Amino acid sequence: MNIYRYEESNKWFDRAVKVIPCGVYGHFSPAPYAPVEAYPFFSNKADAARFWDVDGNEFIDYMCAYGPMVLGYNHPAVEAAFQEQHSLSDANSVASPRMVELAELLCDLVPVAEWAFFARNGADVTNLAVMVARAATGRDKVIAIKGGYHGTSPWMQAPGHHGTIADDHQHVIRIPWNDLNALDQVLAEHGSQVAAFMASPYHHPIFEDNVLPAEGYWQAAIDKLHKNGSVVIVDDVRAGFRLHLGGSNEHYGFKPDMIAFSKAIANGYALSALVGTDALRLDAAKVFHTGSFWYCAGSFAAAIACLTTLKAEKGPERMRVLGEKLTSGLRDVAAGHGYTLVVSGEPAMPYLRLADDDTLMLQQAWCGECTRRGAFFTSHHNWFLSTAHTDGDIEKTLQIADDAFKVIKSEFGH
Amino acid sequence: MIDQLKARLNLKAVLRNVELLPEIDDLSRELIKDWEISIRLSIWRDTNILLNFHNGRCTFLADTIEKGTVSLFFCSAAHLNNMMENNASPLPLSGFTRLGFLKTEFSKLTSRLEYFLKPPSDVVQDDRHKMINLSLALSTAVFAIPELLQLDPVSRRIAPQLSAGTLQLSVLPEGPYAYVIYDGKGGAKAFTGKAARPEALLTFRNPEIAQLLVDGTLDSFGAVAKGDIQLRGKIPLIDHTNVILDQIPKYLQ
Repeated sequence: MNIYRYEESNKWFDRAVKVIPCGVYGHFSPAPYAPVEAYPFFSNKADAARFWDVDGNEFIDYMCAYGPMVLGYNHPAVEAAFQEQHSLSDANSVASPRMVELAELLCDLVPVAEWAFFARNGADVTNLAVMVARAATGRDKVIAIKGGYHGTSPWMQAPGHHGTIADDHQHVIRIPWNDLNALDQVLAEHGSQVAAFMASPYHHPIFEDNVLPAEGYWQAAIDKLHKNGSVVIVDDVRAGFRLHLGGSNEHYGFKPDMIAFSKAIANGYALSALVGTDALRLDAAKVFHTGSFWYCAGSFAAAIACLTTLKAEKGPERMRVLGEKLTSGLRDVAAGHGYTLVVSGEPAMPYLRLADDDTLMLQQAWCGECTRRGAFFTSHHNWFLSTAHTDGDIEKTLQIADDAFKVIKSEFGH
Repeated sequence: MIDQLKARLNLKAVLRNVELLPEIDDLSRELIKDWEISIRLSIWRDTNILLNFHNGRCTFLADTIEKGTVSLFFCSAAHLNNMMENNASPLPLSGFTRLGFLKTEFSKLTSRLEYFLKPPSDVVQDDRHKMINLSLALSTAVFAIPELLQLDPVSRRIAPQLSAGTLQLSVLPEGPYAYVIYDGKGGAKAFTGKAARPEALLTFRNPEIAQLLVDGTLDSFGAVAKGDIQLRGKIPLIDHTNVILDQIPKYLQ
């Protein structure tokens, strides 16, 4: 099996680091990629479920641009819709009818949605959701989950990290996932100040097993929060439209007051949406929140095509089946080498961990060896399936995984 | 609070190096080879350390009830900090007959420590000198962590996010090495050397890379991408530790 090398990627990184802080920053930065030499940093070609790095190495992509790619790169319907709108008008001085059509589509697809507001990135709409909740309640505090991620605005970041100050976290109270007692305690202590509760539909932190909602957790939490006069916000930026086209809350059987979407909404075009119930419409109207590129119409057209295609192709069901096939296959391959692969989260977005080593080093080595053989795996973050992945991709991935297990077994033993 | 933390860092991270220095510096080893003395430094209503010189070695104890041959008392954290900046003298409580030793012999050792920690700009460092400098800097850094977690405002916000685990810091090919054991309750213990089973590894390709990071002149993300700094295992431990280490210059110049 061919082992990839990354000379061109590294040359680009050398250039990048001279003119860009970190060279490659944020979630693409090299920090969580261990061993770093197993990973490429630059690519300028992608198609369907694959990308090619600047060295020409081909990867079956299980990160899907960290979520936005859901139908496959260069999906013909999405690309055609974008190009048609882009050639007519993208940036403009007034709003596009496509924005209205997309809002109507979301109100049709998503049961909670009685209105929709658009921006570009997930944090744009998680911030907006909190502003709307504060406007609606006249309260300050937000309850969030320990290890939950809602973007990189100062209040969302881990306390103490660079560029944040103590006041950023003054009104954010973090509680453990699935812990109704902790919620009770916070409401008892701060209830009159709690504007909102924000959480992802299931708990998908990095470097840890993902955790589904306990039976009855969401409804019980909603009941408590509504009794307290607080707003319930689901951050569905990562999982939205992969588990259910009506929002991941429909998959789990509950209804929040607002849902933040982004990532998969437009198959890679920059777009996010906040949807909510009618009760919050006026408050959403009063909050001033905007950005220079938030009205660009090409992304609206791409989103309409993306969501329509996902619905027609029963996308979430296909991704679930593919994810189950991939993860059960990988578990079997691991077991064949004497390893135990733990799969958590949802099949369309699985997080995998080798239980044989709680330091994560074995897992990092295995993911690195798979990546150097053409299956782009990260060890710290949940993966993503798309409708473009094929049974053939999964078969090839299992062969790569098998080869990688042989390598780490010779290196680490068992 | 700032004075208190600074004093604890001076005692438990900087002066602690008196234990390590004779192990890595021939001149310091020669200096202490015949010393049979223990020196206690204590701050009123706060912390204390004991430097025990015996059989050509120094051992360090913190927050001990052991008495020293010589006992030096500081009225406050600020008092100790002023002494570290040569602007004050301690109050001797016992060992009056050994005060001469402190002013002559012991001050030679502390001067040697200062020479490595703050090398004069006109001194050209050879490889050995650089390695001692790096070893002391690494030691100071890891022993600062438990104190910062207790008293530094930023580190205190990091503390609840630190899971239990051991972080090994290594400079290839032959050290220095140090490690930090986080207890998962916001506390930590630091050690020099190699941990038995670390859960996270922060490894520098060579001493030059490590020194650049210590000097604050290295783009650490760029170094990670180039493999000059290697991260393995529980990377959040490394991430959080880096934020804590970044606080040291607020207190120690």
